Amino acid sequence: MLKSWKLKEIVLMSLFGVVFGIVYLLFIHLGNIWAGLIGPIAYEWMFGIWFIVSIICMHIIRKPGAALIPETMAAIIEVMLGNAVGPRLILSGIVQGLGAEAAFAVTRYRHFNIFVFMLAGIGAAVFSFIYGYFVSGYAALDPSFVALMFTLRVLSGAIIAGIGGKYIGDALLATGSLRGYAIARTQPRDANA
Amino acid sequence: MRNLLHDMNPAIKFITVTIAMLGLAFFFNPWTPLLFFFSILVLQLVFSRINWKLWSLFMLPFVIGAFGYLWTTIVFGAETGGTVIWSPFGYDMTDEQLALALSLSFRVLAFSSLSLLFALTTDPVKFVMSLMQQLKLSPKLAYGVLVGYQFLPVLKDEFFQIQQAHRLRGAAVEKSWWQRALGVRRVIIPMLAGAVRKAERSAFAMEARGFTGEPRTEFYRPVQIGKLDFVMSLVVLALFLGSCVCGMLLSG
Repeated sequence: MLKSWKLKEIVLMSLFGVVFGIVYLLFIHLGNIWAGLIGPIAYEWMFGIWFIVSIICMHIIRKPGAALIPETMAAIIEVMLGNAVGPRLILSGIVQGLGAEAAFAVTRYRHFNIFVFMLAGIGAAVFSFIYGYFVSGYAALDPSFVALMFTLRVLSGAIIAGIGGKYIGDALLATGSLRGYAIARTQPRDANA
Repeated sequence: MRNLLHDMNPAIKFITVTIAMLGLAFFFNPWTPLLFFFSILVLQLVFSRINWKLWSLFMLPFVIGAFGYLWTTIVFGAETGGTVIWSPFGYDMTDEQLALALSLSFRVLAFSSLSLLFALTTDPVKFVMSLMQQLKLSPKLAYGVLVGYQFLPVLKDEFFQIQQAHRLRGAAVEKSWWQRALGVRRVIIPMLAGAVRKAERSAFAMEARGFTGEPRTEFYRPVQIGKLDFVMSLVVLALFLGSCVCGMLLSG
């Protein structure tokens, strides 16, 4: 799978992983303070933030694996920075990345529009919820409360990760720094660029 | 003796910690996670030289989070039955609900202490090297991650530069902390654009120096793996099994 990858694409994913790894860690700590007040549901509405790097990188690079690898790299970097969520972040990164990747695999890596990105956000949300159900013991909670958490997470995945990821990708394209990547080849050339 | 956890092979430590965490997810009694939390503490006291001030600083937000788990599980918990032990504000709390709630919050604490056992005793670069050498992570990905990691201080400086440039031009006047949090939105695009350029340059530099990313068997700095690594791993897993058995017995 890695044979078709250029090194600059991998380093790009890693650098995005660093930037978003820091953002992710910030939000984990913010989420913890919230969670002390309103319980684990505090994380749900902002869960989409943790899926965003998959969608941005897939938007830019458009190759199989461009959703799974950056999410995993961001998780490894989070672990390297040191935190109290620890090594299991790598597992959740892989799970979330696989969820987003599944949406692109279903559409055979041919369509990269807002609907597919939202679908990827939802995929990541569903996968991560199944994993979280097991690890965090949601089975102990009331089913209607779990349903509410699930709905919030899916919405957050679609809106924050799907729409937000596309917005950031498009804004980056407008800066003109992405000319060597797949995203620039599919867009009509700007005469002024 | 007090170096043992620091010297342990990072990949083995990673696998051990992950197994213990996933195993812990099967237990819904309060004693297992609590006992495991304390046995991890003892393990760290005996076999490591970690900075306990840093440990408490990392632990604090998770203690707050654990408290959130405690009361939501009591209020929004699944129907469990059991006898009512306390009825504040006309809400009936049963002993089984309390046990379940305590179990989930102690699980948060046990997870955090286990993570800190890993985080505070592991060298980040050695960890990635070990992932590559022992767990066969592709060198392309491993060195890619290391490049990103090395750029961390540069990215930090850039963050402040962009912020100052914005301020200089009067683009952003941030007063409160939430305005500053929203202001990050304006900083992230230039940061990422800079990251794209850095990625291109460093990838080019790596290739110019003959980096192909092919899997290899010989390394400049080999990460060793020995008998002691497996012994330490067994110690952690034995503590986990011990907590499981004692937890089951104590909760009847």
